[in-house]
Amino acid sequence: MRQKVRIHEKIVETLFLVCALVGVISVLAIIVFVFYKGLHPFFGEDPYSFTDFITGVRWAPSEGTYGIFYMIVASVLSTAGAIVIGVPIGLMTAVFMAELAPEGMVRILRPAVELLAGIPSVLYGAFGLGVLVPFIRKVSPLVQGQSMLAVILVLSIMILPTIISLSETSLRAVPQSYREASYGLGASKIQTVFKVTIPAAKSGILSATVLGIGRAIGETMAVMMIAGNPTAGLPQSIWSMVRLLTTNIAMEMSYASGRQQEMLFATGVVLFFFIMIVNGTLLFLTRKGEEEQK
Amino acid sequence: MTSRKKDKIQEILINLCAGLTIVILVGIIGFIFWRGFPGIDTDFLTRQWEERTTYVNVGEYVEYSESDELGRVPRYGVTLEVTEEGVAIAALDSSSSLTKGLDGAGRVYELQEQDILEEVDDYSVEDAFTQWQESGGENPDAFLKEVTDALNAGEGTSHRLKVVRPGGGIIPMAVTTLYMIGLCLIIAGPIGILASIYLVEYAKPGPLLNIIHFAIQNLAGIPSIIYGLFGSLFFVQICRMQYSILAGAMTVSILLLPVIITATEEALKAIPRGYRESSIGLGATKLQTIWHVVLPGAIPGILSAVLLSIGRIVGESAALLLTAGTVASIPGALVGSGASGATLTIKAYTLMKEENDLQTACAIGIILLIIIFVLQIASRWFSSRLLKHRGQ
Repeated sequence: MRQKVRIHEKIVETLFLVCALVGVISVLAIIVFVFYKGLHPFFGEDPYSFTDFITGVRWAPSEGTYGIFYMIVASVLSTAGAIVIGVPIGLMTAVFMAELAPEGMVRILRPAVELLAGIPSVLYGAFGLGVLVPFIRKVSPLVQGQSMLAVILVLSIMILPTIISLSETSLRAVPQSYREASYGLGASKIQTVFKVTIPAAKSGILSATVLGIGRAIGETMAVMMIAGNPTAGLPQSIWSMVRLLTTNIAMEMSYASGRQQEMLFATGVVLFFFIMIVNGTLLFLTRKGEEEQK
Repeated sequence: MTSRKKDKIQEILINLCAGLTIVILVGIIGFIFWRGFPGIDTDFLTRQWEERTTYVNVGEYVEYSESDELGRVPRYGVTLEVTEEGVAIAALDSSSSLTKGLDGAGRVYELQEQDILEEVDDYSVEDAFTQWQESGGENPDAFLKEVTDALNAGEGTSHRLKVVRPGGGIIPMAVTTLYMIGLCLIIAGPIGILASIYLVEYAKPGPLLNIIHFAIQNLAGIPSIIYGLFGSLFFVQICRMQYSILAGAMTVSILLLPVIITATEEALKAIPRGYRESSIGLGATKLQTIWHVVLPGAIPGILSAVLLSIGRIVGESAALLLTAGTVASIPGALVGSGASGATLTIKAYTLMKEENDLQTACAIGIILLIIIFVLQIASRWFSSRLLKHRGQ
């Protein structure tokens, strides 16, 4: 009887372990399949020059030209723009929620931020298409409203909830004694926030920023309709249309086949590369944060 | 500048930023409601998306009583009316023979209210309607009489009707979304929950635990378009599922794993150590302890994780676009050629992208926002239950 129970327990434990390993297998499968398909066109017979791919500024599948440099530039610039606008606004909102706002107001603000995080990205795209693009069309020196500026604005809005909630958590984690010591030295509340609390919450805010970068660079559907997606050309200004790595994949994947499809996977590999940098940085920051706490 | 002045400016800046965040949220939600609200009516909520034309052979009632009521065709137990779209069925007896008609393939096709009658045998109601409209559209009663007379003609024989069921509703997408939620929860729910049980209750600190946590953290960071790429290669092409709801559900299930695992782990960790120790001390096995002591306490947390996942499924687009397709009808199978189906979110996207129809997209957006809002409130309620359990 005892023996039987033990075997039973062992079987169940193995089942649990298998379920836990599904995550590991999935990550490996995603990497292997995407990389295999994406690196295929650069090897074997009739290879496409990797340098042409990574430095080209023209994407014309019908002519067999696949250059994604202008998309890399667009993705990086849009993400950078979103961080420049989104992080300060998000951080200040977090400061408001953690340090200044009365309890009742926080109780309204926090669900509001959660709701902002829960809005499907397609609806951010609808907002961009219905509000931002027509507005930009009016003020832009160019004829169209689809532009890098529209992309940057939508991405800034989309990273806000990530920045706000993580920064707020790390601001709240700063020990009360830090603030009291600062007040004791005669500093005002605002001085304490900028000179003591924010520096003390630095690593958390940095993690939030990196997570925001990851969200912005991987976002697809919200920016699909407002980017313009031209087939060639580096972005000249914030008014020019851009094609991002993500939108390139989503635009053509439904009908692509053969080499064109492989090139879309290659675009995915480049995107993956950026995501790995982001994930690595995040992991490094979390480790460092944990060590500091010890 | 005095330090007090500087303080004041900085404080105003902070308040402005917080205000801006609220303005953005209100702006987005307000915009969706403002643009989408005119598009919402009962037809939008109850109809199929595609218009559907069917030829139906119908017999008549065996016994019926004559009626002088306008638009009434007693032998079929139906009342017709003239609408803007054509001659539509206004009311249908529950035993009407029109509910037992056979379509071209010999299957029973049940007519419904609001279906539009376009032909009765060789008599084209559609043409007559157009003519009547072009001639000024006067005297609708006489026109209706003409149509009912055509239906009343030829006693004892069966009629062949051409009927159009009007579209423009979101029912297929709503049903597809429900299927998608069900499938994803069936696949990702047990795997995620059992995995968290392993991680919290069984795993000993060491390389294996680190690897699993590392993998889950990485999964959480991968953008959904990459999941879409993987799904379209592995499930759609290699597994030969084609664009189908199962391929979509499998892809989204992987995407959900980190969401479910992280939240369930939190819920399990919230159960005090003492509970487990007392249970083991009373002679229960580890499995019995988990099943009878740990899991019941963690249920609110797990439910909150499930609601969170439903929110993700409802809002997901990039991964589903590349795996489940964009067909606006209820999928008839899990895999294969008839299994493609668009969820509400995907439909909102294709409406904007391909048909430039921002109003209908925003109308769907309103439905999505309401769903997300309700889910978040429910999820918060469950979380507060969990906190109560911990005595906080």
